[in-house]
Amino acid sequence: MATTTNDDLARWLARVAMHDRAAFEQVYRATCAHLLGVAFRILNQRERAEEVLQEAYMNVWHNAAGFNAALASPMTWLINIVRNKAIDALRSGRTERAATVALDDEAFEVADESRAQPQQLLEDSFNKMKIGTCMAGLSASQRQALALAYYRGMVHSEIAESIGAPLGTVKAWVRRGLDRLKTCLEAVGVASA
Amino acid sequence: MNYLLPERLDKLAREYALGTLQGRARRRFERVLQASGAATLAVGVWQERLATLAVGVPPLQPGEGVWRGLEQRLFAPAPAVAAPSPSRWSWLVALLSGRSLGGALAGVFLAVLVLRSQPGLIGAEPHVDGLPASYVGLLTDATGKPTVLASSRRHGRELTVKMLQPITVPAGQVAQLWALPKDGAAPFPVGVVPAQGTAKIALPDSSEKLFFTVPRLAVSFEPRPAAAGDRPGGDFVLSGHCVKLW
Repeated sequence: MATTTNDDLARWLARVAMHDRAAFEQVYRATCAHLLGVAFRILNQRERAEEVLQEAYMNVWHNAAGFNAALASPMTWLINIVRNKAIDALRSGRTERAATVALDDEAFEVADESRAQPQQLLEDSFNKMKIGTCMAGLSASQRQALALAYYRGMVHSEIAESIGAPLGTVKAWVRRGLDRLKTCLEAVGVASA
Repeated sequence: MNYLLPERLDKLAREYALGTLQGRARRRFERVLQASGAATLAVGVWQERLATLAVGVPPLQPGEGVWRGLEQRLFAPAPAVAAPSPSRWSWLVALLSGRSLGGALAGVFLAVLVLRSQPGLIGAEPHVDGLPASYVGLLTDATGKPTVLASSRRHGRELTVKMLQPITVPAGQVAQLWALPKDGAAPFPVGVVPAQGTAKIALPDSSEKLFFTVPRLAVSFEPRPAAAGDRPGGDFVLSGHCVKLW
């Protein structure tokens, strides 16, 4: 992504809307690694993440005309497609996996990871966006709730179960995290409403 | 309930964008989104904010198979083997889709053109009967560019393969040609095609017997030349029609 700007992506997407295959490949090459990263965090399984990635780009090819540069940046638009597909895949497969990996080692490993890693991603993102100091106002629990929702695609009840907190408390933590994010981003001039 | 009161809208929009709005509440809000520009905007602003949380996610390079699969799914003409249980009318739909009909006609047309202008292509076999090739296959790459011309006499036991443009075969792999019989029967291996130039592939039986029921040919990259009974392991990188000219 180093040499690709949002302007490049917007221009390519406009050509993809006219079914320009070369532009489609440019979009893919410039964004696939970042988007696979996003899908992988949610699904925690490379093969499924790659399937989701492929589905997402099918969607990009068919729906590029629906991209509106006035409403979203190209990367945000792409991330949303991938995230929604990954969350759908996660929720449709969750019951199945709960039944199959109930008590083996993998289950513990995933549980461990889900406590530590999403918060690190959150920290790294805050720092890259230069809002680390501003976001320091959030408690560890508030961060954790926000991180599990965003990076793991968890809903309130799942977060509550995962960290052993009451549902109402978790909802308040997520709300607080989002409020703070809005304030801090506005302070650095990102996505002011 | 009025969803469009600014404060209520903002709360719903952020939970929707985050993914924590679920079930009936999510479906209700999706209906609001379809009808309200204000709701779309509110969600858009939150999606933009939340996308900043993705900047810290380490990139992960997908395998090249993801891109090849995409090309195959989006751009390759539907391979005959793709439909395990074709519905009663699927052949008609496929025929009327224009794409496959146009492709078939273009393939035959181009093959005839190439044969006319370069009769030596298929005349390399001894001219025992003076007849042109009976079976001709034209395979295109994912962008639709003609790549392989395969031809054989009806009772010949040799398939002549001419590469119309060079292909890049991954190191340690071969470009394996497959015949895809109609009715979705399993593909069978024909032989290995070269990266460029011309090759002759010995056939285990006459073309008439082998290709009579074969409407399509395809090439996949395989770790080794396929043996009888093998099935394609990789995606098809080239595919096209196989027609009987006379």
